[in-house]
Amino acid sequence: MTDWRTVCALVLAALATNAWAQDKGYTLRDVDIKDKPYLDARTIARLPARTDVSVLERRGGWMEVSAGKTRGWTRLLSVRLGNPDPARNRTSLAALFGLAHRGTSTVTVTTGVRGFSEEDLKQAKPNPEEVRKMEGFAMRDEVATFAARGNLVRRDVPFIDADGRPVGGAK
Amino acid sequence: MRIAATFLASLGCAVLLGAVVAGCSQQQMDAFVKNSGGLDNLTKTVKEAFGSIDEPQEIEMGHGMAETLLGARPLLDDPALQRYVNEVGGWVAAQSDRPELPWHFGVNDSEHVNAFAAPGGYVIVTRGMMEVLQNEAELAGVLGHEIGHVIRKHHLHALQKGAWMTLLGSGLSASAAGKPSEDLVKALVGPTKELYSRGLDRDDEFDADRIGVVLATRAGYDPWGLPAALQTLAKINPDDPYMALLLKTHPNPGQRLDRLAQAMGTGFDRYADGRDNADRFRVAVRAIRPPAAQ
Repeated sequence: MTDWRTVCALVLAALATNAWAQDKGYTLRDVDIKDKPYLDARTIARLPARTDVSVLERRGGWMEVSAGKTRGWTRLLSVRLGNPDPARNRTSLAALFGLAHRGTSTVTVTTGVRGFSEEDLKQAKPNPEEVRKMEGFAMRDEVATFAARGNLVRRDVPFIDADGRPVGGAK
Repeated sequence: MRIAATFLASLGCAVLLGAVVAGCSQQQMDAFVKNSGGLDNLTKTVKEAFGSIDEPQEIEMGHGMAETLLGARPLLDDPALQRYVNEVGGWVAAQSDRPELPWHFGVNDSEHVNAFAAPGGYVIVTRGMMEVLQNEAELAGVLGHEIGHVIRKHHLHALQKGAWMTLLGSGLSASAAGKPSEDLVKALVGPTKELYSRGLDRDDEFDADRIGVVLATRAGYDPWGLPAALQTLAKINPDDPYMALLLKTHPNPGQRLDRLAQAMGTGFDRYADGRDNADRFRVAVRAIRPPAAQ
């Protein structure tokens, strides 16, 4: 007999799975597959560049992927979602997020779209009232409370150059 | 109002230059150039006028540019979400080297996926962007990227470098209107449209990506928020019309991810305990996310 608690747990786990689950992607280079999302974790397999993978989960800088019988963790930035040829990414925003209010076509934008396209920009007339409204939402000291509520702890991290070398003073 | 004075002084130069180009013979022009110390000097004078923009002037310019940006698409009518974006953005901006700027964040009512900044601390993200982001760390990374443009004055530099002539040109007709502030706004309309349709230098975008990652990490977030958001953008069909302006004005998401991989390496693994606060993000966007997308 099926334990209802197991069923509930499975359903909850499925609901909690983030939106990345079952994303398709491919490896950008030869990658090590680890049994845990840590640099010093055991390497359990190696996948060559351009291997198609399914993404099961993301945790920080790591992605859990599967390819055939191989399953494990690799660096987030060693995997690219979508197709190696971006033009073959058939994912429209509508399909991707199930946004019912969007059209499903990837080519035509229906009339009445609330847009910020180049054309909308071209037609724009200054709207001082909206800027005043935007300024009305400004936060100053409240942000520290907001950060504390979200368990956000300030850390010292230097700015970096293109190769990751620290530049300027750490803060 | 000081900016308006600088502006009008610069307009004077442009009028002079315009007259030279439009109405003078080659001989007269040579004489003018000689007497004025050469066209190079004239250009230099105008550039110097803009090079010396101080912080109040920068904020005034950003305000003017934001009027045009919000003129293209107004704010989304969701005060709770507007406050939330100001909380996240305000906290991330507080980690920058310009925490004292009057930072303002807003979500506009556009289904296009995009985000942009104007000088002095104005940052706007589209509703479409809010729909594709998955958690607060991703939002912090995106806002951090825009904050990066502001603290490095990328838009000001672009106006100085490329479009200052356009700026002055479109300011000419406004110079007679009298009210300096309105003149400034009017003068900025053309350059603002041009700049935000054309985009910044690609290197400025890569620069802003690295700053975005660092600021979000300083703020206590998962450092991979911005890369994760870019991963999502990378899997969307680049011909999707909702992506058009973002992709026209930025390097493609794949290139940006390659650069971030190079810069981040394994150096951010020590900050892996950063938060993504996905729960409160979901609450904040519940009004704009259909249940299926949550």
